[in-house]
Amino acid sequence: MPTSQELQINIGPQHPSTHGVFRMTVTVDGETVVRLDPVFGYLHRNHEQLAEVSTYIQSMPYTDRLDYFNSMASNYGLALAVEKLAEIEVPQRANYIRALMNELTRILNHATAIGFLLNDMGAWQTALAFSMREREKILDLFEMASGARMMCNYFRFGGIWRDLPPEFVPQLKQLMVGLPSFFDEFDKLLRENEILRARSINIGILPKELAAAYSVTGPVLRASGIAYDIRKAEPYGIYGELDFDVPIGSVGDVYDRYLVRIEEMRQSYRMIQQIIERLPDTIGGHINPKMADIGKQKTLRPPVGDVYARIESPKGELGFYLVSDGSERPYRYKVRAPSFLNLTPLGDMCRGHRIADVVVILGSIDIVMGEVDR
Amino acid sequence: MTDLLRSIIQDAWPFWLISLIASLITITIIMLAAVGTMMLMVWLERRVVARMQDRLGPNRVGPAGLLQSIADGVKMFTKEDIVPRAADQWVHMLAPIVVVSPVVLIFAVVPWGRGVSPSDFGNGVLFVLAISSISAIGLMMAGWSSSNKFAMLGAMRAVAQLISYEIPAVLALLSAVIVSGSMQLARMPELQGGWPLVGTTLGGPDLGLGWFVFTPVGLVGFVIFFIAILAEGERTPFDIPEADSEIVAGHTTEYSGMKFALFYIGQYVLNFVLSMVATVVFLGGWQGPLLAQLAIGNLAPLGGLLSLVYMLIKVWGLFFVMIWLRGALPRLRVDQLMDFAWKLLLPIALINLFSAALWVTINLWGSSPAWTIKVIIPVVSIDLLGWLETASPIVRQITALIVTAALNIAAIRWVLAINRRTEDEEPEEAMLDVLEQRVA
Amino acid sequence: MSIEFDQGKAYTVDRGAPKARNGQGMLAGMGVVFKHFRDAMTKKLDNPSEISGVFTVQYPEERYKLPEAARNFPILLYEDASGQELCTSCFQCERICPPQVIHITQAKDPVSGKAVPAIAEFLIEYDACMSCGLCAEVCPFDAIKMDHEYELSTDVHGGLTIDRAGLMRPISYYEQLAPSFWAEVKDGALKKLQGAIKRRSGLVGIAPQMVEVLKKREPSIQESGVGSQNTAIQNPEPRTEPIELRTQNPEPPSPPTPLPVGEERRSRGEGIAATTEAATPVPTAPASSITDTTAPATAPAIPAPSGDARAEKAAKLVAIRAANAKKNETPEGTP
Repeated sequence: MPTSQELQINIGPQHPSTHGVFRMTVTVDGETVVRLDPVFGYLHRNHEQLAEVSTYIQSMPYTDRLDYFNSMASNYGLALAVEKLAEIEVPQRANYIRALMNELTRILNHATAIGFLLNDMGAWQTALAFSMREREKILDLFEMASGARMMCNYFRFGGIWRDLPPEFVPQLKQLMVGLPSFFDEFDKLLRENEILRARSINIGILPKELAAAYSVTGPVLRASGIAYDIRKAEPYGIYGELDFDVPIGSVGDVYDRYLVRIEEMRQSYRMIQQIIERLPDTIGGHINPKMADIGKQKTLRPPVGDVYARIESPKGELGFYLVSDGSERPYRYKVRAPSFLNLTPLGDMCRGHRIADVVVILGSIDIVMGEVDR
Repeated sequence: MTDLLRSIIQDAWPFWLISLIASLITITIIMLAAVGTMMLMVWLERRVVARMQDRLGPNRVGPAGLLQSIADGVKMFTKEDIVPRAADQWVHMLAPIVVVSPVVLIFAVVPWGRGVSPSDFGNGVLFVLAISSISAIGLMMAGWSSSNKFAMLGAMRAVAQLISYEIPAVLALLSAVIVSGSMQLARMPELQGGWPLVGTTLGGPDLGLGWFVFTPVGLVGFVIFFIAILAEGERTPFDIPEADSEIVAGHTTEYSGMKFALFYIGQYVLNFVLSMVATVVFLGGWQGPLLAQLAIGNLAPLGGLLSLVYMLIKVWGLFFVMIWLRGALPRLRVDQLMDFAWKLLLPIALINLFSAALWVTINLWGSSPAWTIKVIIPVVSIDLLGWLETASPIVRQITALIVTAALNIAAIRWVLAINRRTEDEEPEEAMLDVLEQRVA
Repeated sequence: MSIEFDQGKAYTVDRGAPKARNGQGMLAGMGVVFKHFRDAMTKKLDNPSEISGVFTVQYPEERYKLPEAARNFPILLYEDASGQELCTSCFQCERICPPQVIHITQAKDPVSGKAVPAIAEFLIEYDACMSCGLCAEVCPFDAIKMDHEYELSTDVHGGLTIDRAGLMRPISYYEQLAPSFWAEVKDGALKKLQGAIKRRSGLVGIAPQMVEVLKKREPSIQESGVGSQNTAIQNPEPRTEPIELRTQNPEPPSPPTPLPVGEERRSRGEGIAATTEAATPVPTAPASSITDTTAPATAPAIPAPSGDARAEKAAKLVAIRAANAKKNETPEGTP
């Protein structure tokens, strides 16, 4: 009886569909994947060590480059950690604006994640072009508020850099008008599409127990059926005051992850509507008055101690572990990157599937190499 | 063309010379048409897909970007032609030629308009099907000669896709052949005049709309054939061979420069020419309104021009649908692709063939002893189908329509039902499999 | 399954019954795409509330007006009338810059040799700058601000290390870019500038663009004290920065003139002006050096530093190089 031999092939690091410089050594038997080992580190830029030789405020622009898609969220993580460590209070208005930026980032990220997933499946950029169009509108808003489209550097310890300019909210409201039809259109284009269903249902299943064992977080975890969202479990900022639901999946396959992301976009839209309503009545200014001067920011000397602060970034739980020795530079600065940890079950998710599915499964986890490699 | 030249030269030169020159002129025109069409197709595709994605396409090179294909061509020409040292040099060089030449050959039998057919065979359909299969050999040559295991894998997949989709294509075309009674491609549009659904049976003004696609047999045949030519021409959602999903570029991995461009050209021209075949057979070719009225007398050249216009509109319309599909749909995985061909298209195509036979039988029932079978119920001794022998043509046609429509609809529903995916309805079992594999 | 929280619930997403099985899902998708095609053929999307229509901005014929807060690379400011630079060389920006791309040399009084609140040299490596804006945020004198200019591509290798002459802009230029930002800090900045002017003398702390203008106004002003030409005098330490590069680039990139009033730039919210003559009036030299790589095509409207001292230095450099080349030829048999 002839037996087949296993073949080891290498996907990446230069590859159109691997979301950055990422390499996978795949062992295949025929067309079926037997084993998959991710190899990364191609984008390592010494982020954590750089933070040890910089003051806290100097690390803030570097966090932009961690998860370069969601720079606002990465900023939020560091700001939260330092504020927790140094016990700095954040005024209400600043918290509202922070949540607004976070949710806009979430819509941006999920739209492009789905667009890229469709691109990997071969839909020749149509869904991606639509997502990028919405992303552009949101980036215009970011540029208005923070000065840069992607590398926002908007958050400061105790608040944000500047308050929103007067033309921000009208343009945001215009965007809100168009977003529901965008979501509906996306859904119509994709949800019942037979080919999409055939390519994503029961592909890359991550069962609940395994997801919890691997410390997976974010939409991937929720798609596997565990209802855990840091905004509900350990609310930070003003998330405790906003009404929103948490969508979870049932099977944990690619289709569920796609569905969870669409639903999360709708929930973010709901949250932004609430924020827009309440924003005119918020008090406190855009930054804690004690920290308003940049001089205070750059000479910040948190008390000795350590802290772990986490936020629900669009990709999962983004955590910052800071150890301070009382000086203006952290003793140890560690980033818990969600993409890195979500990547670890990739081998298990892909086993038994075909090579063409590997790229689709990778796309459904939604990783960004800046975070994985730091 | 020969006649035209003859009338100009008037026996001044020997016949064989006139014939040769005529052939050469025809060949040149066809080659120019093929390449020119290909450039237009690439331009149209890029602009249309862009508009579907809310953006403009290339619009800088030349007016509205029309010269973009030339710019790409120049780029391809000027690239270094790299041949791997371990590759089989001759096969590597011949492969693109073997892929592209049959495609251009098909142009020879397809009619562009009324009376405009470069070479009128008696069995054009057979020619088309046979010649288009030769491209598969070229693909295999490309994959094998590259001495690259991924190219080989890609080539094998591409060949598997091509040959599995040829069978539904053949069966769909056969149904048209059965109905029209001849394999001659130039004859098929002539049989598609008249009114929709009933063709020329009712008499009255010739609307030129009695296309085959307006009958149940033709509709199913057209859909099957269209899907099959999407797969033959490697268009989305069947574009696995040209996709970057797996490793690199499949069978064209080790090709660069003009050889790569030849594969590219071959793919586009194949799509165009197969769309032409589909149009001629199913969509009435150059038939259209007002054509029959213009065919007589001095207006004949105008009629010829109009027929050309109709043909081109239909073919480019089909190509627009191909572009549209490309913009909207993701691609199928290889095994899903093969399932689709063998488990879905093939049974429907077979049953459609049977429907076509029924159509012809009902229409010709009783016209000759060969076309009559007496169906007598033994005890009651009633001649079940005798009424059909004496029915008028229109009654027969309507009967045929009803019967074939019923049969086709039933067949499609049945085939779809038996293909229903079980995994979709039982996710827990699929999950258990995953957990088992993990433990193992 | 549904879990209740304080404000909201967790709910399972609906996977959809497999009802649209026979191609309806694909047809619906194709319908959406066709709608976009139809809209893209007929209209332009110029409003964030629309979701279809041509979204492309045909750069460079159409450009956006950037918002005030937009930050690309830093520039230094000087007061329009007097030419006095606002920078007092306090080194705050150099210290806070995360990638450390700012290099400042403080000016010394030409007579007494004491440090004065002005700069002798100020280099920013644009190619390494992250555009974080921390320098602009920290500056106590509002001297360094973020510019909006982004068409800075050049093929000169050192062309993106900008020196003081390339960085200086008049306050009116910045005021036009970001009026409300400048209005917030204007009074304080000008008051601090008065304080700094008291401690400067001669041409110390005068923007290079304004040196000739001031000399014409008051011919008694001393020659010495001009910034980039006499750094050898004011800065005794050997310089590691590649000043030589500037001699290869005969004319420094001229800073753009302030944009005339009513320039045709529109923001997306107001619709995009698709005029073809909306190109920036004075692009910086590297951007226009496509046809001529050695000299910028546009004549600078502001006078550049005089060429005599420059030519002297060039000659000195040639002589030094010739001497080095001779030295390197002679030793033979070296391993």
